[in-house]
Amino acid sequence: MFFTLLKKELFVEFRSREVTLSMLVFGLSIILTFAFSSNVSPVIIANYAPGMFWIMVLFVAVIGVHRSFSYEKEFDAFSMLISAPIDRGFIFLSKWISGFIFLTIMEVLIIIPFFKFLMIDFPSQPWVAMGTTLLINCAIMAIASLVSGIAMRARLSEVLLPILLFPLVSPVIIAATKISGSIMAGDPYIFWQIWLLIVLTVIVIFGLVGYTLFDFITEE
Amino acid sequence: MNTFLNNKTNRLWFILITAMMVFNVWNVIMNTPMVPEQHWAQKIFYVHVPSAWVGFLSYFVVMIAGIMYFIKKDDQWDDVGLAAAELGTVFMALVLITGPIWATPIWGQPWIWEPRLTTTLILFLIYIGYFMMRSFGGHVERVKRYAAALGIIAFVDVPIIFVSVKFWTPEIQSHPQVEMAQQPSGILTPFLLSLGIFTLMYVLMLKYRIHVIRINNRISADV
Repeated sequence: MFFTLLKKELFVEFRSREVTLSMLVFGLSIILTFAFSSNVSPVIIANYAPGMFWIMVLFVAVIGVHRSFSYEKEFDAFSMLISAPIDRGFIFLSKWISGFIFLTIMEVLIIIPFFKFLMIDFPSQPWVAMGTTLLINCAIMAIASLVSGIAMRARLSEVLLPILLFPLVSPVIIAATKISGSIMAGDPYIFWQIWLLIVLTVIVIFGLVGYTLFDFITEE
Repeated sequence: MNTFLNNKTNRLWFILITAMMVFNVWNVIMNTPMVPEQHWAQKIFYVHVPSAWVGFLSYFVVMIAGIMYFIKKDDQWDDVGLAAAELGTVFMALVLITGPIWATPIWGQPWIWEPRLTTTLILFLIYIGYFMMRSFGGHVERVKRYAAALGIIAFVDVPIIFVSVKFWTPEIQSHPQVEMAQQPSGILTPFLLSLGIFTLMYVLMLKYRIHVIRINNRISADV
């Protein structure tokens, strides 16, 4: 059942490309803003590049996750979805994994413009950077999908989503910035091991909490 | 109209706790020793730490009320959750006010991203969102479920936030109260007394807020 739901999410997106396209364009606009606000000064950029990258990802994730849940409101599709005889935890899992896939696709497309526009050197350990980025995406989307599930059917959902999400996701953003900063600086694994553990903890805890709570949150 | 203080037990506790709190303030000002480097600034810790304890206790109650609301499907647990969230936020605000008051003379500036204060600030912001959800969320029954879920998520996030903020700024010193148990009895005894009185006051305040919320709900239902 989980795979059917995931397939539905991916089909809807690959037909419309609404989520990934809006994430990509918004991400590019943020890069442009960062470039203008920092005058593309190598000193400023080198210090703040990891933070800038993850702030961009967070903003883009909000857009993506909001769109991913809000199209379910059209024709009251979400009510039909939750009235189906399925484990509602799977709805959370499918939103989480599909959100993770869309966010990763967006990053793959945007990573070169990010480094080139801001004139930053690529990290010396690209595979490590990619692996950790995937884990961080997973952690961000676990929290974002759960919070979006809560905010989606509330009034003013577009306002409530970032207000609730940003403080909750702050440990992941701190960890993400530290990990990326360490990798860019070429620090050994032992220096950023603790941050990776924090990211993994978020994935496990919010994955379990989201799976368990989603059934109650979506009750009618 | 059945007011809270019409109840004999409530009235008795109210008088008792008020007297204890007056004694506590007098005791902190008059009887506790001056810490040489901190002078009067240190006395704020007899309010600051108990406020933080009560604030976190209150958010723990919000989580328990949220879990019970989902299990029992009883609106009474939503009342408990809302009352505890309100009180927790009031005490957290007190922590965020008293912390910088202490820090200004001791650290030379009101805010230096100390891990516990930062965790408190993040939690405070989450609960501002919680109240916005309660106020602007729309559908009443759904909002109760969302609030219960948010109370659980917020408390689950607390240790992760604390650990991440602690490692984020390892160079920043912690409060001197880390080794509270090793403080001389002249400080420890009044501190524990203050902690106990704040906890009793919290229990009474929680009872009162639940009472008021239920009256409000009854009036809303009648209208």
